[in-house]
Amino acid sequence: MLNAQKLGLVFFPAFDWAISPTHPEREERLLYTRDQIVEEGLLDMPAIREYKPKIANLQDLERVHVGVPDITSLITNAHLVSAGGAIAAADAVMKKEVQRAFALVRPPGHHAMRIVHGTRGFCTINMEAIMVEYLRRTYGINKVAIVDTDVHHGDGTQDIFYHDPDTLFISFHQDGRTLYPGTGFTNEMGSPNALGTTVNIPLPPGTTDRGLHEVLDHLIMPILGDFKPDIIINSAGQDNHYSDPLANMAITAQGYARLADTLKADIAVLEGGYSIEDALPYINVGIVLAMAGMDYSKVIEPNIADCPSQTSSVTHYIKDVIKERQDMWGRKEKLQREAIMKHGEFWQTERSIYYDDVGINEQQKERVRLCPHCSGYVTIETKARSSLHYKTAYIGMIPQKACPVCLKAAYDVVHAAKKQGNYQHYMVQNKQKDRLERL
Amino acid sequence: MYQSIRNSMEQSAVGFIPGKRGDNMFLGLDVGGTFTDGVVVADGKVVSMVKTPTTKENLLQCILTVVDKMVEDTGSKAFERIALSTTIVTNAIVEGNIDQVGLCIMPGPGMNLKDILPVAPYILSGYIDHRGREMAQPNKEEVLSACRHFSSCDVFVVSGKFAVRNPCFESAVTDWIQEQASPMHISAGGKVSGSLNFLRRTNSAYYNGAVWRHFNAFATAVEEALKMRGIYSPVFVLKADGGTLPLSVARNYPVEAIFTGPAASTIGIMGMNGDAAVSGISLDIGGTTTDIALWQKGRPVLAKEGAAVAGHRTGVQGFRLKSVGIGGDSLVFWENHVLKVGPMRHGPAMAAGGPKPTVTDAMVAAGFIDFGDRALAVKAMMLLALQGQSPEAMASQVIDKAVDGICQAIADLLDEQAAEPLYHVEEIVCETKFVLENIIGVGGGAAGLVPLVAKKLGISYTLPENGKVANAFGAAVARPTIAITLRADTAEGHYTVPELGIKNRLPRGNFSLQNTYELAEKHLAELAQRNSISVGETQIVQSEEFNMVRGFTTVGKIMTCRLQVKPGVLQYGEEELC
Repeated sequence: MLNAQKLGLVFFPAFDWAISPTHPEREERLLYTRDQIVEEGLLDMPAIREYKPKIANLQDLERVHVGVPDITSLITNAHLVSAGGAIAAADAVMKKEVQRAFALVRPPGHHAMRIVHGTRGFCTINMEAIMVEYLRRTYGINKVAIVDTDVHHGDGTQDIFYHDPDTLFISFHQDGRTLYPGTGFTNEMGSPNALGTTVNIPLPPGTTDRGLHEVLDHLIMPILGDFKPDIIINSAGQDNHYSDPLANMAITAQGYARLADTLKADIAVLEGGYSIEDALPYINVGIVLAMAGMDYSKVIEPNIADCPSQTSSVTHYIKDVIKERQDMWGRKEKLQREAIMKHGEFWQTERSIYYDDVGINEQQKERVRLCPHCSGYVTIETKARSSLHYKTAYIGMIPQKACPVCLKAAYDVVHAAKKQGNYQHYMVQNKQKDRLERL
Repeated sequence: MYQSIRNSMEQSAVGFIPGKRGDNMFLGLDVGGTFTDGVVVADGKVVSMVKTPTTKENLLQCILTVVDKMVEDTGSKAFERIALSTTIVTNAIVEGNIDQVGLCIMPGPGMNLKDILPVAPYILSGYIDHRGREMAQPNKEEVLSACRHFSSCDVFVVSGKFAVRNPCFESAVTDWIQEQASPMHISAGGKVSGSLNFLRRTNSAYYNGAVWRHFNAFATAVEEALKMRGIYSPVFVLKADGGTLPLSVARNYPVEAIFTGPAASTIGIMGMNGDAAVSGISLDIGGTTTDIALWQKGRPVLAKEGAAVAGHRTGVQGFRLKSVGIGGDSLVFWENHVLKVGPMRHGPAMAAGGPKPTVTDAMVAAGFIDFGDRALAVKAMMLLALQGQSPEAMASQVIDKAVDGICQAIADLLDEQAAEPLYHVEEIVCETKFVLENIIGVGGGAAGLVPLVAKKLGISYTLPENGKVANAFGAAVARPTIAITLRADTAEGHYTVPELGIKNRLPRGNFSLQNTYELAEKHLAELAQRNSISVGETQIVQSEEFNMVRGFTTVGKIMTCRLQVKPGVLQYGEEELC
């Protein structure tokens, strides 16, 4: 990497895209960030190289998502460019043109799950997941760690990789009892074949830089050290900031920059962050400087005096969370053996998922085969209802490293379901063949 | 020492410039590294061409040599104007012939600039945020102490982050420095460049201050020398974006006079090419380099990034150009069994009595051009040829190599243009690839090489007559331009024009993007008048409009508009020159 620059920056503010005119996710969101980055002269720095996003294609999306009835009717061009931005960042790193990359793109994606009926939590497709599967398909990368630093639980990313033992998903977030989407508790650890590779760290409202760095140094970094991923991805949400209007945490731009410095993610992809005027310009500049290996000590918000300090009860609570999670990480093999024993051949779950954007209620029944030879095929039965629609589908999913038995069984069960004819759509997401088939 | 070509009006029509008939004579001068070229253009035609060696130690001398010869040629001293494209600022910087500058900055929070600027700055407190709000006041005591720190400096520079959003702090600090130190000159970042990019503005202002004295001494010498000869024509200086500034204005903004050479040739091509609205590239093939510019619908494409001086990016805007070290005099040689062309030059072609084989020798030996002594050119190829290889085969190998090198540089330039970041979904989804339609070739080596490059790329080419003096021609006909940036923030209720140091309240009531344009037009007209430039046609270079939402209500709009007097070729009769 003799000539590689430190940081590749894909900046795509989507100045002509909004969910709706007054929605937090609107045209203006990265305007002040653009102003600050340009005014600083960051793009002129020899350590930083700006990249243009690509346009992701249907195959990139369907490698991860199954849209009902199809993904193209649920997204806009902005989604393809945002996912393409993450892909451009990944390419720059993999081609060794840069050491690290930051896709500062919108719209965000970490609430988008495998099955997509619409938009939830401002997300329709999952940029990181699309990028991760693109990396696997294009560059043969195996072990991936995703660290989600958004204030909201990255439930979409968790869902997509819940059965995948090769993807470590770590999310710290404001406790789900106090914030959307209301998930991300410590007992959500991955399905039995991948038990332990989902690590949730719910934090109490009012957590400051101090608490965050305690979690990072004593929990996240040691787990990453154990897992030894080929690549580290950061879902870089910026709504833990003390001025964010949608959450109640107390992290500063310095806290975020030090986080980026410690984590040393290979690729970061922007997620949320809605204090667009008072926080984003400073946090983004801090992260860019940290990832580029430059001095970030002078990035300080003008209204820093408004940042509360951490109460002792919060400090105690965080210490307990760290301890509990350390303990669970240490016992994960044992927990896994027990879970497999308990569930027999199939692990299954039923849940309802709410799409806040258009008011869709989805009922899902998910089943994964606890195969001793691979991570097992998955079936999902989905029924989504809103005032306008009723959409159903039966979907089989074949992992890339599926064994022949699982490969065949997945097709068999979807064909059998089709014969019964209780659903509108029947699909198989075949990751081995890298295509989504409609039966 | 000079050659002069007196052309008849009929034979030298180089592109049609509409307008009134008469003897409007525009004198253009290109003071290059080796030669100084001059042309007089009357009614769109070159009526006098002069070439003389550049007297590097005393630029005034070669300028006057050319002007004197042109007075003799045309029998008149009544030039409408004299425009200079000069390397004086670039050379002053390259040669370190610059003044010590007291650099005072107000960086606020952000990147640490301490070791990034060309010289160590004095850091002052006080800063403006991205909305133009005053977040912390500057401190007068600190400014006084900065004056003491820089007590040996005659020139000061003041630059504040986001000063283009609110120039108040830069103005206040400038006033305090004036009171305390009364330096000869103070450059303020926001006035030197009105665009966002504190780093580039600061670099621009620094170099502006650093060359200020040198440039002003030169300007005074030019004006006095012309007066002594009884020439009272107004003098203009070319800018890197192809516009011109009256010398009186350039005295305050000398940094605008960097990198004007390629700009001159680009404007020259525009003048020679008339109204042909083709897209493609121009090649200015000189002795040592080929300058490539990109054209879209008959207009040169501007670069997004500012020109770099000694490795420091400035806010000076220029054309999107690429320079490759291949020209007519480029040395041709073997290195580890690989044939190399350039980038070095060891004197002229052997055909013209030079010491070593060059690209021109290959062109002559292959019969593409008729120049110098063909026998010597063939000899040059024989020196290079491998055993059993004919000089003609060698010549064609050399030419292929040179053409490949130029084509590669063209491909690189197109790649750079295609990699330009875009910030709107629509722009990315509907992006159209740049299509090459035509090559326009100028410069000494154009006649031989351009047809070959065009053939390889499979497109057409044009070789304008008098292409050898495109630079001086460009200087002669480049229209004076000036630009301002107006940003209205209706939530804050004010607007700023950094180039004028203005922060004013917005009128009450609804204020639209259209109102922003109108307000910008008004201020541009004021600035133009102050600088004795006729406004004529203006163009919006950049425009943006964003709604500001607080909670779930729109509380205002932020509208930005950068407006400029359209650069281009002077139209007769339109200018009211001072």
